[in-house]
Amino acid sequence: MLVVMNWFYEKTSFKEYAYDNADQYFQINKVKNCELVYTSASSNFSQKTTEDKGKLSQYIGQFYPSLAMEAFNIPATHVGTHYKLLQSIPKENHVQTVICAVNLRSFGADWRHSELETALNKSLVMSPNRPVLLNRLLVSLNAYDNKSQEERAEQRMAEWSELTLPYEAPMNSVSNWCAVEKWGDWSNPKRQLADQFIKQYAFVVDDNNQRIKDLDKIVELAAERNWNLVLSILPENINKADSLVGAKLINLMYSNSEWIKHRYEHLDHVKVLNNIAILSSQHFTDKDFPTEHYDEQGRKLIASYVAFALRKHHSKAFASPAWSTNLNFK
Amino acid sequence: MIFNSLPFLFFISSVLLVFYAIPHRFRWVLMLFASYFFYGFWKIEYLSLISISTIIDYSSSRIIYESKKRLTRQLALAISLMTNLGLLFFFKYSNWFLSDLVDVFNLSLVDSANQWRSGLNIILPVGISFYTFQTISYTLDVYSSKIKPEKNIFKFALFVSYFPQLVAGPIERYSRLRNQLFTPIKLSGDNITFGLRLMLYGFFIKMCVADNIAPIVDQIFDQQQNASSAQLFSGMLLFGIQIFSDFHGYSLIAIGTARLFGVKLIDNFNSPYSATSIRDFWNRWHISLSTWFRDYLFIPLGGSRVNHLRLASNILIVFIISGIWHGANWTFVVWGAVHGTAYLAFQWSGLNKSKSLIGWVLTMIIVFLAWVFFRSDNIQSALDYIIRMSEFTEGSLQLVWNPIIASFIGLFLISDFIWQNGNIHSWLETKPSTWRWLIYAFLLYSILAHAGTVSHPFIYFQF
Repeated sequence: MLVVMNWFYEKTSFKEYAYDNADQYFQINKVKNCELVYTSASSNFSQKTTEDKGKLSQYIGQFYPSLAMEAFNIPATHVGTHYKLLQSIPKENHVQTVICAVNLRSFGADWRHSELETALNKSLVMSPNRPVLLNRLLVSLNAYDNKSQEERAEQRMAEWSELTLPYEAPMNSVSNWCAVEKWGDWSNPKRQLADQFIKQYAFVVDDNNQRIKDLDKIVELAAERNWNLVLSILPENINKADSLVGAKLINLMYSNSEWIKHRYEHLDHVKVLNNIAILSSQHFTDKDFPTEHYDEQGRKLIASYVAFALRKHHSKAFASPAWSTNLNFK
Repeated sequence: MIFNSLPFLFFISSVLLVFYAIPHRFRWVLMLFASYFFYGFWKIEYLSLISISTIIDYSSSRIIYESKKRLTRQLALAISLMTNLGLLFFFKYSNWFLSDLVDVFNLSLVDSANQWRSGLNIILPVGISFYTFQTISYTLDVYSSKIKPEKNIFKFALFVSYFPQLVAGPIERYSRLRNQLFTPIKLSGDNITFGLRLMLYGFFIKMCVADNIAPIVDQIFDQQQNASSAQLFSGMLLFGIQIFSDFHGYSLIAIGTARLFGVKLIDNFNSPYSATSIRDFWNRWHISLSTWFRDYLFIPLGGSRVNHLRLASNILIVFIISGIWHGANWTFVVWGAVHGTAYLAFQWSGLNKSKSLIGWVLTMIIVFLAWVFFRSDNIQSALDYIIRMSEFTEGSLQLVWNPIIASFIGLFLISDFIWQNGNIHSWLETKPSTWRWLIYAFLLYSILAHAGTVSHPFIYFQF
């Protein structure tokens, strides 16, 4: 009876539900037939006005025209989400190399305890490795991390006040640091922005960080599946962080990104690109807020770095596109 | 753990298997552990509260029963009532009480108390309104010599904490549960069939009807200033259906779960939207609570055997307190007062005794309008809702409506009307086997494929 019900549901209501709530389900079927897979959040594309709206993954693909490239790029996701998506790729696949965009902000409390997590976790229940009706039931039974907004806010506040930073007071915790009135009171936009940057980047990565545990799983999955893995640490607006907050914050950003790089760079099947400082402020389309949205030049620069890193595994397929000759590499 | 969750499914399966595998004399012990585990799963701290209530009421009842001195018996009763009502007041009403006192009197002492209380970050323990009323009924029954107190404190603890009905009723009487909880029973196909049927239907109306309506109702009430009159009217009707299907679903699951273990709980609903008067409505809606208020408040106040003025005040008192029981907000007071006033109006007009179409129409108008107060955050927004609904205004709210949900609602309402004084079990008993299995398949498929996906706790858990 259940098998018949599952078949009936798959043929009738499932697609509508999946398109509305979990469209990555259909991407997985496309991804399994590609040699190159790119995972990221919204950094892969830009919704702002630029001349060429090509995705970062597409630019990478242009260096390897004979290889098929497909991307998971779901906004607000992180390597934890990417791990679940990669895990969903059937064992029978053509994937050779996975490129994971690693967003430094996603290691901080604000993103780890984001209010968007519940919705993300809900959509990820629709895994292609299980019967669709079972997935749908699991969603109805709230079989995922579905903390309320209030609970997540409590987690953020607790971490910001309790976790110690490697500086003397008042920079010894996020809460204390934000209270320092470098830019005066809250009516000053710079004060608000500085507060944002501190909350996004003032943390210390270690083994207990959930994103590190997620990256460990991705590294292990790649080894199991014989995939080459490129971890591309995305550029952050270092110039803006420096002007708003100062050296102590950007030192944390550098040290965290290097920590991540050193953790994995010794592994044979892994290449880590620390691109955190390769872009100046002008390439960030969100001029004020700490995001990883880049203009066309910015995306092409990042893509070039990644493409060159892939030469080790796909040298015969490499071909520089015409636009790559005009780039200013740092 | 909530009923519609994976942990509960694992929990009930495990407890059921062990229950019928062990000798009878250990079964009530298993149920006690299971009940405390169930309650502690919400928050481990809740166990201390239910334990306090249990110990106080057990001790008070023993003293009441054994003491020959009237003063001692009264004192023991007072301690029991003050403990239970005190817990209820502290967790449920003190914030409202102190905030309103601060607003009205602007007293610094009250303001300090309010800030202290707010600083404690106190959360209402789930089920406290239900199990305190259940234990109060026990103590009062012992005091009035209707029952003898339980000698074994752990058996009494099981009566207080019995997990199928712990968090949202039905509120049971000790006289009904006493023998059932401790009487040997054999594994019975009838009990299992009855239990599973009720649970299946309960999950259907909770997950497929209530949970699918909830986002639409939330949208209408949260953005009522943008909704058209028609949408507001729909929102009012839908909330009435939501709260009924939600609570009725919970009650059916609770009754069905208890029946798996051979225990028969009281029915909590009997087709309330078929009521032809307010009195009829309250004989059909949340029956365990309305009979509790009748037996432990209305009758001690004099019941119907008083003059008209006294009767009117008794009825209003009972309904207003019933409203307050539902929550710490003036909207619940108004909700209760509306029902009390309507009850009196029906009484004086003779409509309480007649079963007429006019009576049904008037009853439904009053009940559904009162739901607007029940659902709203404050009186002003409830009044705004009703005024805007009656002004025939246009709106800009975009609502997404699903024909499958509409069909579920229709099926639920029709079934509820057909099964008056009965239930799905008695109805299915009259159907051939093929039909029964088709209905099981339909209900199961609906739950698997079309249950609501937005997390909504049972409405009555907040009370």
